Amino acid sequence: MTAMREGTTPSATVVRMSLMFRIQHALLMVTLLVLALTGFALMYHENWLGRTLIRLEGGFLYRGFLHRAAASLLMGQLLFHAFYMLLTREGKKELGEFFLRRQDFSDFLQSIRYNLGVAAEYPRFGKYGYKEKFQYWGATLGIFLISVTGVLLWAETFSMRFFPKLVLDVTLIIHGYQGLLAFVILLFWHVYNEHLHPSVFPMNNAWLTGRVEAEWLRLEHPLEYEKLKREGVL
Amino acid sequence: MKRIRTLLFLPLALAATFLLPETASAADAGAAACMECHGDKSIEKSLPGGGTLSLYVDMKAYRESVHGKGACTTCHSDAKAPHDKLEKVSCGKCHPDSEKSYSQSTHGKGHAKGAREAAYCSDCHGKHDIRKSGDASSRTFRLNIVGVCLRCHKDRAIEEKYGLPGQQVMEAYEQSVHGMALKKSGLLGTAVCSDCHGNHAILPGDQPRSATHRQNIPNLCGKCHSGILEQYEGSVHGKGMRGGIAESPVCTDCHGEHRITKITDPTSPVFAKNVPKTCSACHEKEGISSRYALPKKRFSTYMDSFHGIALEYGMTKAANCASCHGFHDILPSADPASRVNKANLPRTCGQCHPNAGPNFAKGPMHVEVTPQKAMGVFAVRVFYTIFISVLVTLFVLHVGLEFFGRRRRKRMEEGGKG
Repeated sequence: MTAMREGTTPSATVVRMSLMFRIQHALLMVTLLVLALTGFALMYHENWLGRTLIRLEGGFLYRGFLHRAAASLLMGQLLFHAFYMLLTREGKKELGEFFLRRQDFSDFLQSIRYNLGVAAEYPRFGKYGYKEKFQYWGATLGIFLISVTGVLLWAETFSMRFFPKLVLDVTLIIHGYQGLLAFVILLFWHVYNEHLHPSVFPMNNAWLTGRVEAEWLRLEHPLEYEKLKREGVL
Repeated sequence: MKRIRTLLFLPLALAATFLLPETASAADAGAAACMECHGDKSIEKSLPGGGTLSLYVDMKAYRESVHGKGACTTCHSDAKAPHDKLEKVSCGKCHPDSEKSYSQSTHGKGHAKGAREAAYCSDCHGKHDIRKSGDASSRTFRLNIVGVCLRCHKDRAIEEKYGLPGQQVMEAYEQSVHGMALKKSGLLGTAVCSDCHGNHAILPGDQPRSATHRQNIPNLCGKCHSGILEQYEGSVHGKGMRGGIAESPVCTDCHGEHRITKITDPTSPVFAKNVPKTCSACHEKEGISSRYALPKKRFSTYMDSFHGIALEYGMTKAANCASCHGFHDILPSADPASRVNKANLPRTCGQCHPNAGPNFAKGPMHVEVTPQKAMGVFAVRVFYTIFISVLVTLFVLHVGLEFFGRRRRKRMEEGGKG
């Protein structure tokens, strides 16, 4: 890390994820992992990947049980998260930080221009930059879409009454590809930003300790750093 | 001379049959003379190829046989004591119909050509101890027939010499539903060799006159499975077969021949899990689907469906081909009586999915993902494929750009400091 330069003491840390969010994050990680493993087992049923996964999951019947159990947990969590963000003090504050603004788009363009060597200044991010916001809203929308399609497929006795098979065929294909999309984004975007990015390599520990170093914040999220300074937290 | 003797013999033999009470005592007297030698258990002759042949006759067994009231000379007409080698006994003298059909059979023709192993009358019926086929101790009693046929047909030397079906075929019968009914349950109603292959007139299945030739199979099985035959006759396969389409499946194409087992047996070709493969043996053949204008890719589209995947992984309650299309009564979807006719789909799907009404049955059941057949699924798939590819490309570009950007920031920071 590029600590030990100026200003703060190197050991100064600041809370980035409260316990409540760390629990939600850990649950999300487990459920998404189980859902991916049990979902791809079905999606790739005809080759070695599917066969191996289905065997590991205790056969076709248990694959289904596992998938639906994890899905129930995930959907419960989605609901809980929505209420938490809309109704609690901490949630409302975080939601405010996550709001998409015009500034995020210009930050994105500026970072590209800077990386290309055209702009002189790298954008200065608040608590969450465009990378974090893209991750958060992408995941939320994705989980919403995959939950709706998943419920339609799960409750097939109900769905068949209202939808032609044609619609359910499309529902199935959306569900599968949405899962693939979520997996690809997690793999590329999240793993890059939170593990492989030089500023956090090998891992941003905030999901475990809840804290980040103030120096890291100063370099990667300067607006948040300054705000905390003004508020006297730092 | 020989022929004249034969001609003279015929009325005598007939008289012997009809005047049994009177001739019995005379016959006894005659037999006693024969038994002076043939009643001796040690009497034998040496064979030209080495070995010996016992010439002992079990008089008791003969008396209990169906011919037991006759005289030795009824069959051995040239016998007088003492005698040299006698002429071969001709059963056809009294059983002309049997002899006629035997002579046209594969056994009869082989025997006439001098094939030593080809079954002759006595090989199946016995010699002095012949009993009626209804008699449980008869060789040709229903429960004993398989054993009689297998005496030769399980002999590897004979099989190899004449290119006959191998041992595994015979063993398959013993394990089959018919074989088990015979062996385990002792059911008289089960199918034994002769029920399908015939008795005197056995011919190989590739000859049109054979009972087991393709075109004769439905009627053959229908002898016992009459209700099924009726359903089959009305089906597209049955009509095709009657219309002279040799490719149209008959019973054995789906059920197998000697190895027919119950549909609950996992090795049966009509066991739920094996049905898709059995049907595709014909329906995935390029020639057959184009000759009869059948829809293609039925197998792959099924195997990719929920039903197909579930079945593949052993959930046998998942619908297979027969669950929707029927089996003995399969009809094309255009036929109003077909289970997969648009009008009947709600009832067919409803067997398992009670809410799948007419609204559900809209659209294709086998989803072939092409713009013409399933635009919705096709469009979603294309959209996601492009979307995911574009995203991944952008991610990689972004990561690459950031690499350069960070080097620049680092240099600037170090430069600014220094």
